[in-house]
Amino acid sequence: MKCTECGFEAPVEKFRYLYNARIDAPISIRQCTQCQAWIAVDELKGVATQKVGPGEAPWGKSAGIEGLAEDVRGRS
Amino acid sequence: MAATAETVKELEKKQEWWWAAEKKRSRRLDYLRKAMWKKGAIGGLYPAGLQIDLERPVMQTEKAKELESSADPYVIKFAKMLAHVLDNKTIFITDRSQLVGYLGSAPNMITWDPTLAAILNHEVFNDPDSLPQPLDESLKVIRDVTNYWGGKSDLDKILPHMDLGDVMKVLSGAIGWGVPLGRGGYSGKDYEYIMTGVRAFEDIIEELDRRIDEADARSHRFDASREISDLIDKINNWEAMKITLEAGIRHARRYARLARIIAENFESDAVRREELVRVAETCERVPAKPPRTLQESLQYDLFIQLFSRNEAIEGAWPARPDFYHGPYYERDVNIRKTLTREEALDLVGEFLIRAAEVSQYKPKWAREGLQGIEGTWVWTLGGVKKDGSDACNGMTIALLQAARLVRVANPTFAFRWHPKVSDEVMRECFECIRQGLGYPSMRNDPVLVANAMHWHGHPIEEARLWVHQACMSPSPATKHGFQPMRMANATANCAKIIEYVFTSGYDHVVNLQIGAETPPVETLETYEQFFDAWVTQMKTIFTILVRPVNRARILAPKLTPRPFLSAVSERSVESGLDVLEPSISRGNAWITAFTWVENIDSLAAVKKLVFEEKKYTMAELKEALLNNWEGREEMRLDFVRNAPKWGNDDDYVDSIMLDCLKAASEFSHEIKCPSGNNWPILPENVSGNIHYANIVGALPNGRRLGDALYDGGISPGPGLDKKGPTAVLKSCSKIDHVTNGRAFLLNQRLSPTQLSGEKGYQLWKTYMKTWADLGIDHVQFNCVSDETLRSAQRDPEKYQEVIVRVAGYSAHFVDISRKTQDNIIQRTVQGL
Repeated sequence: MKCTECGFEAPVEKFRYLYNARIDAPISIRQCTQCQAWIAVDELKGVATQKVGPGEAPWGKSAGIEGLAEDVRGRS
Repeated sequence: MAATAETVKELEKKQEWWWAAEKKRSRRLDYLRKAMWKKGAIGGLYPAGLQIDLERPVMQTEKAKELESSADPYVIKFAKMLAHVLDNKTIFITDRSQLVGYLGSAPNMITWDPTLAAILNHEVFNDPDSLPQPLDESLKVIRDVTNYWGGKSDLDKILPHMDLGDVMKVLSGAIGWGVPLGRGGYSGKDYEYIMTGVRAFEDIIEELDRRIDEADARSHRFDASREISDLIDKINNWEAMKITLEAGIRHARRYARLARIIAENFESDAVRREELVRVAETCERVPAKPPRTLQESLQYDLFIQLFSRNEAIEGAWPARPDFYHGPYYERDVNIRKTLTREEALDLVGEFLIRAAEVSQYKPKWAREGLQGIEGTWVWTLGGVKKDGSDACNGMTIALLQAARLVRVANPTFAFRWHPKVSDEVMRECFECIRQGLGYPSMRNDPVLVANAMHWHGHPIEEARLWVHQACMSPSPATKHGFQPMRMANATANCAKIIEYVFTSGYDHVVNLQIGAETPPVETLETYEQFFDAWVTQMKTIFTILVRPVNRARILAPKLTPRPFLSAVSERSVESGLDVLEPSISRGNAWITAFTWVENIDSLAAVKKLVFEEKKYTMAELKEALLNNWEGREEMRLDFVRNAPKWGNDDDYVDSIMLDCLKAASEFSHEIKCPSGNNWPILPENVSGNIHYANIVGALPNGRRLGDALYDGGISPGPGLDKKGPTAVLKSCSKIDHVTNGRAFLLNQRLSPTQLSGEKGYQLWKTYMKTWADLGIDHVQFNCVSDETLRSAQRDPEKYQEVIVRVAGYSAHFVDISRKTQDNIIQRTVQGL
């Protein structure tokens, strides 16, 4: 897997597992051991998809009544 | 800061309640709120600017050294140490305040008690970020203090009398929380003795003198017996109680003197001068004599709480402020009309602020488990009187309104709902929830009164006087009902139960055999065998946790006495026994069951996918878990998505919840506290779901080591309750909330958009009716949108005042870790 920030390449498990914000989604947060960036990882594909910055939720909205609880605009 | 041009109405329309509150509160409250130093740790670290106070440890140490050669028994020495601190600590009066008293020597100071545990003292030494400058000087003081208390602290004294195997397992941090200490934990108070206006410190001193004289006379008659011999201990205890009460009166009078000095010599504003004189008069009156006004009543309460926290580290603040201060509010505001409602609101709001700033140095594990707050100050409102009639009053409403104005995250409220609560009061509760405070949590009073009678045998008149001992557990504030201590290590990290079934009790995170050596999981041929292994692990963990607590409770009266708390407790004043003595307490113990629902979802997943569908072998699952699901994402998702989940009104998994609770509640009747009473379980989490994220291994419900656990109690996993709020309530209602456990925490997240306006209130009220009809004992709400919370993550400075409900407590969103924040955001937003 390749870090989206610094390009560091290593097997997925070499990226430090932090947590999965949403247990029913395959998107986890791992930390690049090279540049320390928090990156979103698609665990099914073994691919880093993006850096996770403040307020970002690459795993999507919270569950429940969509439209009433507005998520970050333009996401998911 | 908010644009000043925006009106309160505009801000409320935008649901920016924190800015609206700033504009709505009085200038005094606004000043006091902003002058307050928040003490809750951010994540697990104290915020910049807070410092560990070295004044008190130095005083305690110098007094202890001075008393070394004294012939006094320990309880008297201890009382004298407390008196020394109260007589000499630095005091101050915050500008514009009407209530006085703080634990530390300055508003940004966190007090540290070196007499409690050497391991805590070492943690102070290694926490340089919070030490006063110059660092070298601070470290020298800490070294001297720490060296002195090594071998003399409470924990050092207790440990040789404990089963060290149990202690090692508890202190590993894997299965439990805290250390078994009599002067640490959640101390209830005998409010029926001390807060009803019948007596105050001078009355108790008089009573103590009488008892000492009688006992002294009796002990010198021509007689000798065990009873006569015991009188010597009792006289010492009474003397110690008296020392602390007298010190308390002197301490209050130091404030009176300071207030008069400022008024007479420094204050140029005539109105403030008058206020300071009133502060002085108040402190001359209380705690020596019973209060006569609301201000005196609040000040009296505050002094008692502070003295008690000078004596011990108290992680909770059991209280029922509307019940005990209500009569004074009524007299001042409605009968004598000596206070306007607005003036009363100022006092009540300040009372919340004074409580919010209280702080005592805590170890990192405690700070992580209670992110954003100092302790669980969950104050009880509402409920019924001894005769069953509605106890709500003007003070109930004032507290709920003041909370919306000052918006502190701690104390929070828990409201004892019952069928006679008026619509006016329900609207006030709703308004707090709608405005995003996360409190009050709603408690089902009839259910919990019955529960208190069932589990601990409290008589109905006492059961009706219950307060929250911590986040959730009811305990009557009565002579025999209240609990003087409750150490946090009877807190079970229950996810370890299911984890240990897969590891035969070996903990791979701390590398220690902690659980029972149940058969290798791959040899279990039926679900029934698998469940039996679960029951064995549950009993093992609960027992390991309860044994040290029982032992410490038995040792506490001699080794770690509490003379001040004894002095304000009828049973001790009457008996001459320390308040920690189990024989004079009815017993109200409970096992907090952190991370409970993971067991249910895991058992359901194993039952369905391994035993019934045989999609995976147990060996395959065991290996996947040992490897933290690494490389098995498809399998992991199968266990999440294709196994029934608690909270969806699905009997398949709900029946497993009932099986687990049945097994636990049966065992709760087998294990006994030193008072001879039961140890029921109480599922809830505070922020233990985050603290334990890196301690609990991978589980069959699909979580990995590192993932936050569910948010606790009987709350479904975030995002896993997919069938709406009624299905959640129906699942929860299958539990018998009287006999299956002591209480059950339920987090729900609602949409602020949906709750707006009168329609919002009516929707919520209907929901609450269903909740009450189904006999569920607890529910609490988060009502802040994803958008606001994500914005707060992006721009924390701008959203400093956004509050969320974490578990049994609320916290400012910016003070909790990113993982906790994401965990809260991922909770299902229920549409009503």
